[in-house]
Amino acid sequence: MTDLLGNLALGFSTALSLQNLGLAFIGCLVGTLIGVLPGIGPIATITMLLPITFSFDPIGALIMLAGIYYGAQYGGSTTAILVNIPGEVTAIVTTLDGHQMAKQGRAGVALGIAAIGSFFAGCVATVVIAALAAPLVKLALLFGPAEYFSLMVLGLAFAVVLARGSVPKALSMILLGLLLSTIGTDIETGAERLTFGLNALTSGIDFAVLAMGVIGFAEVLKNLEAPEQRDLTKAPIGRLLPGMEDLKRAAAPIVRGTLLGTALGILPGNGAVLGPFASYALEKKLAKDPRRFGRGAIEGVAGPESANNAGAQSSFIPLLTLGIPPNAVMALMVGAMTIHGIVPGPLVMTKNAKLFWGMIASMWVGNLMLLIINLPLVGIWVKFLNVPYRLMYPAILVFSCIGIYSVNNSPSDVMLTAVFALVGYALLKLGFETAPLLLGYVLGRLMEENLRRALLIARGHFTTFVERPVSAGLLGAALIVLVAAILPAVRQRRAEVFTE
Amino acid sequence: MTIRSPQNLVAGLALLAVAAVALLSTGDLGAERFYSIGPALLPRGVGTLLGILGAVFLVGSLLEQGEALGRWPLRGPLFVFLSVAAFAVSIRTVGLALAGPLVAMISGAASPDTKPKELLLFAVVVTALSVGLFRYVLNLPIPILIIPRVLVL
Repeated sequence: MTDLLGNLALGFSTALSLQNLGLAFIGCLVGTLIGVLPGIGPIATITMLLPITFSFDPIGALIMLAGIYYGAQYGGSTTAILVNIPGEVTAIVTTLDGHQMAKQGRAGVALGIAAIGSFFAGCVATVVIAALAAPLVKLALLFGPAEYFSLMVLGLAFAVVLARGSVPKALSMILLGLLLSTIGTDIETGAERLTFGLNALTSGIDFAVLAMGVIGFAEVLKNLEAPEQRDLTKAPIGRLLPGMEDLKRAAAPIVRGTLLGTALGILPGNGAVLGPFASYALEKKLAKDPRRFGRGAIEGVAGPESANNAGAQSSFIPLLTLGIPPNAVMALMVGAMTIHGIVPGPLVMTKNAKLFWGMIASMWVGNLMLLIINLPLVGIWVKFLNVPYRLMYPAILVFSCIGIYSVNNSPSDVMLTAVFALVGYALLKLGFETAPLLLGYVLGRLMEENLRRALLIARGHFTTFVERPVSAGLLGAALIVLVAAILPAVRQRRAEVFTE
Repeated sequence: MTIRSPQNLVAGLALLAVAAVALLSTGDLGAERFYSIGPALLPRGVGTLLGILGAVFLVGSLLEQGEALGRWPLRGPLFVFLSVAAFAVSIRTVGLALAGPLVAMISGAASPDTKPKELLLFAVVVTALSVGLFRYVLNLPIPILIIPRVLVL
């Protein structure tokens, strides 16, 4: 306990330095701004803004990126409520009741409760991360390559189940991601794999390139296809602070959403996405009068928004303790850490204690900033929504190109991104969701490395994965998860959760 | 034989094509070595699984009712691709000051709503802002303006 307090004190002294406060502030502000603009999710945002962090020290850079991440989440919810456009997947549920509230002239209350719920969730999640970090790191240090490999298999199994759409399609995307990750020079033997003699491919595909092409640009292409329709409510935003009545209704959902979101966010394989959906389903089930949902029920905003934020934060846990990014945003964080010379994994906590705890403390600081800075600024954010998409997407493209070019100062990276934009677009058209692809790509390299190491230790016997009890347990869990996903009963439940 | 799900048919064919490329182009790499595995093991293993999934989609598309292929408008993808490619080509040869507006103007052709004059003005402003931010505030080594044998900024 004293350890925990001491660590948190170290964290806060780092996060509260003038420079880091400033960076967290800029991160939150820029993140919110871009999150508000429809058509750019957090992945594209972080990729675009990655070069901005190059000139800072690693702690500052990561604090700013984390701020961008929360800011974008928060901005995404703002558009979900005001214009019925979810800034990203996790805000989809918020459109249901949030936008209805806006139509009834209660946009301010919806925004307010979303912010309060998020802040509460952020506080709880910060403490959970701080408390879980040390034991998890100890556990991680006991893990050998075989255990790591099996854990990542479990993560990918979760990713298949948690993806929207058909299971075989999600599985295909994971495998495609794994395949893409093998492109480039093999580290152990120096053999060139799948490079087709192209120079641009010899060092592999940069994650930022893949993410920007397949997610960022493909998103632009998708938006270009759909005629622009923005349901900007003409109703006034109204007062921001919810009244006692609203607070009473929202309190329990906020607590439940926070717990649900935190727990799901820890799952390897992007459990954070599931949080808001699960919370909405739960609140609807618990409600005395479920018919109110979809017609502006405040519980339908409070629960999912809390779950969303809690999950966003607890998804840092696998990254910070095990070095395994559970989703694409965290994978970008890995990229950012690597650029600054930090290898994510169990050693970060001891070797870079200041960075580790500083980041955790900055999460809390960031949440507070979002609460006190952003709510009063809602009016300004709304103004940005008036920028028409015909001007927005060329600007997105210009900034994205600069961002991609700056990561490695490489024109061929920009060219590859253009190619992946077409690939991502084609995949969307064929009904494939691209998020699992990114996860497969990220985990691919780590998996191969650990697979080979494990086999080396076991002198080439594949049985090592089932002979070591922890590894066997993890693989067993992966199998159960996958089999369960195919069972008709679970399949139906899964479809229900995602359609709500 | 009727195609019941055109989308899955094409998806299956695409996966089979990827699998074929993965398997054929890694043929000359070794998969097994003494105590470890060679560089080709993972690509070949994953390629095989992708091929199996492709076949499943292919067969499934003949048996199970599914989605149509939908519209594939080419205007958006074409011009967005061209604009980003144009940036790749021009950033090192003429610099950001021209590459920025070039990206904006080419990509503008992707949308029927574009008003060229408005976009040009907007593009110039956006480019000027990014030159200021990336080159002068953040000190990134991004070329601003290059006129061969005359000027490099």
